[in-house]
Amino acid sequence: MPILKDFLQEELKNSKDLKKAYENELKKIPKGALVKKQIKGHDYHYLAYKQNGKVHYIYKGKLPQKELHRYLKAKKRRAQIRPLLSQVKKQIHFLKKVLNDRQLQSMP
Amino acid sequence: MTDNFNLCLNVLKKLHTAKVLDKVTIIGSWALFFYQQCFKDSNFIPVLRTKDIDFLVPLPLPKWEEKIDLPHILEELGFSIIHNYSSGLIRLSHPELIVEFLVPEQGRGSDKPLSLPELKMNAQRIRYLNYLLEDTLQTKYERLPIHLPQPARYAFHKLIVASLRKNKEKSVRDTEQAMMVFSHLFKNNGLKEIKAAFGKLPKKWEKTIYNKLVSIKSTYPELTSQLFHFWDN
Repeated sequence: MPILKDFLQEELKNSKDLKKAYENELKKIPKGALVKKQIKGHDYHYLAYKQNGKVHYIYKGKLPQKELHRYLKAKKRRAQIRPLLSQVKKQIHFLKKVLNDRQLQSMP
Repeated sequence: MTDNFNLCLNVLKKLHTAKVLDKVTIIGSWALFFYQQCFKDSNFIPVLRTKDIDFLVPLPLPKWEEKIDLPHILEELGFSIIHNYSSGLIRLSHPELIVEFLVPEQGRGSDKPLSLPELKMNAQRIRYLNYLLEDTLQTKYERLPIHLPQPARYAFHKLIVASLRKNKEKSVRDTEQAMMVFSHLFKNNGLKEIKAAFGKLPKKWEKTIYNKLVSIKSTYPELTSQLFHFWDN
């Protein structure tokens, strides 16, 4: 049993580190999503984001390809990280629950 | 198959495409998984496997054909970089798997990890790893080339590590893994291999391993008595 306890503690530490890394990465990713609007045949971009339950739009105008690519990449990475972050949070919850279990705690 | 296994397979595929897999040796608890595939022994079932998959890089460092942005490649699978700010070590982490690189520590040693700029990674320096690299076996898994230490060397090395560990639980885990490999080898004509691996042990290590075997004699009476024969001859 002590082996299992040690193993779970190690996993908990790793999961906490990963949670922190994902959260930091999410903070660095530009917030919001680009919305393209066509006005008189020209493409204009707005950055849409949610704050206090309300959607806000910031006018960005015509954006160079490089900038568009950056937002697209950020959107993709955010979509990838969110479920993983949720998974790692569930792992932490589970591991804490198991480690706090009375039976396991009473083990030497 | 579990998510963790599928992810590991995807990592190996990525490393193979990047021409990295052929130059590294898998050690740690994942090596046991691949031994299991090699041995085809229904009794050889590694119980606990950590999330870390350790890749051992030989020294001098191999020549990579081109620069490879490994963190970026694995980012596509959802990995994130974890910096250990006290040691400087970089690990690539995912809820299901942690990728780490290791190198044998040489000379006086250093606290800092060895930089692998061509992979945009670094590797933890650990003692006694050369022994594992001196004799490796290559197997194929899902058409991927997998390099592993010779099982007997792996087992002897685990006993060395177990005797040096401060963490008692990890030490027990290492010992169990070593004895599981020895048990398989003794039952499957692996005596010659164990003898060869024993013959290459430095004298100092022989003594450390002997002491370790004495301390676990009561837990593994049969296996330890078989191993003691090597010291008798």
